[in-house]
Amino acid sequence: MIKETMTPGERIKAVISLQPVDRVPVLPLITLFPACRKGMTNADAIRHPDLATQAIMEIFDEVGGWDGMAFSGYRAYLVPPRVSAVAMVPHILQPGRELPENAAPQFDERETITFEDYALIIKLGWKGFAEKYYPRFLSFPEDKIIAWAERQFHYYIRDMKAWEAKGVPCLVGAMTLSPLMFFSIKRTLINFTLDLHRHPDKVAAALDAVVGDLIDDALYAIKLTGLSCILLALERGGGFYYPLKIFERFEFPYIKRMVEAFASEGFITILHFDNDWTINLPYLKELPKAKCICELDGTTDIFKAKEVLQGHMCIMGDVPASLSALGTPEEMEAYCAQRINVIGKGGGYILSSGCELPPDTKFENFKAMVNAAKMHLPPP
Amino acid sequence: MSELAYALADLHEDRVKRLVREKIDAGVTPMLIVDECRKGMDIVGERYKNKEYFLSELIISGEIFKEAMATVEPMLKASKQAEPIGKMVLGTVKGDIHNIGKDIVATLLKAADFQIYDLGIDVVPSKFVEKLTETGAPILGMSGLLTPAFGAMKETIEAVEAAGLRDKIKIIIGGGIVTEQVRKYVGADAFTDDAAEGVEICKRFISGGEINDKGNDDPRGENKSSY
Repeated sequence: MIKETMTPGERIKAVISLQPVDRVPVLPLITLFPACRKGMTNADAIRHPDLATQAIMEIFDEVGGWDGMAFSGYRAYLVPPRVSAVAMVPHILQPGRELPENAAPQFDERETITFEDYALIIKLGWKGFAEKYYPRFLSFPEDKIIAWAERQFHYYIRDMKAWEAKGVPCLVGAMTLSPLMFFSIKRTLINFTLDLHRHPDKVAAALDAVVGDLIDDALYAIKLTGLSCILLALERGGGFYYPLKIFERFEFPYIKRMVEAFASEGFITILHFDNDWTINLPYLKELPKAKCICELDGTTDIFKAKEVLQGHMCIMGDVPASLSALGTPEEMEAYCAQRINVIGKGGGYILSSGCELPPDTKFENFKAMVNAAKMHLPPP
Repeated sequence: MSELAYALADLHEDRVKRLVREKIDAGVTPMLIVDECRKGMDIVGERYKNKEYFLSELIISGEIFKEAMATVEPMLKASKQAEPIGKMVLGTVKGDIHNIGKDIVATLLKAADFQIYDLGIDVVPSKFVEKLTETGAPILGMSGLLTPAFGAMKETIEAVEAAGLRDKIKIIIGGGIVTEQVRKYVGADAFTDDAAEGVEICKRFISGGEINDKGNDDPRGENKSSY
């Protein structure tokens, strides 16, 4: 084991700022796997989130701890003000409600705004549109969903304090989406792609109309939590889906505007990249230095990311879900050791799962991942 | 190559519509129109392979192709149709409701002249086996985006084996998180996370050509089609 000279909080703060660390920090995105290991169904974890969060803490103790929590517990959806709730809640299907008892929560790809809605959104902004047409999105009464959001916030803060008492910092105080991701979800990938092809100017105007609301929404939420990072969920705008000409007009300018707005108020943006963004990596050098974390899921070339972003932005990731679920501890250790040696060289690397750890993660594999950070020292 | 094929390959939606209509009015046989559209899709596939096109162009060209087919379909029904190049049973496995990748690959396979029996999402193993038996399709495609899908894929392949069909069919799995490790675990013949590559693999299944499983240049060092 490496002799530690920093606390987890100091280690994470330093790595994000691209300062030297005593070892590579390890910070998994951990939600359902501990509850699953403790014998709870996914629906049980949702019905009893305190038990699900307790399960995370038990796993934490069983593996000897890790350096930080992205979220404070099972509740990943924190403080959605009405605008966010309307944007996202209709698309999340839950086990025990829409899905079988032990199914994983899943995303419902269906159209919830029409092509005609672009004109209304351009006129009213997203907030104005969502408020006016609220009943179209959610069948719950408005006061009920606001009360739900307030409860979520209360529990999120309580769990955050419990982690802090264990000496473990929590990072994410708000989540949001890029405007492209937002419309792709609400129009569906296929419809939105056709919109971009057929009506690019209208789409651009709609993106312009929502970006300010998404920024305000995230800043409002994070200021309530007092945490330091805003997670920007990015999947649909990268090179896996679109050529660079689309990225350059419809995705990157908005990412940049959001990151700069967050940075100007002292917040770090976690660029949560799902799917392959390798061809988009050079653009990230235009974002403010040491104000973002480039979080990868195992599909973007992390070695290329290191080459491009060394000295500019911290990199986080990227253990693939299939390795956590199907691999062996030896394979896991080898995978993590390689990343610590190469991506960790010279600093600026957080070892993590690629996106969330899957619920069927093998405990021994997870332990091997956590231990790898404590055993392998990267080259200076 | 015809103007129609290039119009489709260049994603000129309105021009494709106009040309299809003009050809119908001029008495061109519907199968010839379909062939020209398929040639356009072949160009799209080539451009994708050469990294000139992305998934978005596959989606757009697939939609343009579907629109063209909708126009000629009434005439196709009235005429004698050629046999498809292959038949395939497709679905997202039990416990998983993701459909984007499956739907895109289904569109591309239809454009490549495959007869697709799309069972939808959250498909239990017995449904796959039932449809394979009923249609005699020689290919099974299973999609999934979550790790629990691995178990469902394995279970489905076991059910295919138990039904005595395994030797008669080729099986491909697809989805954002499938890897060679997953392919081996579930016992499939091939895997892909790329819709266009999936179509190519299915064409090779049908042609029965030998596939060199060492020739893959996947950046993760894994073989996508080791059958």
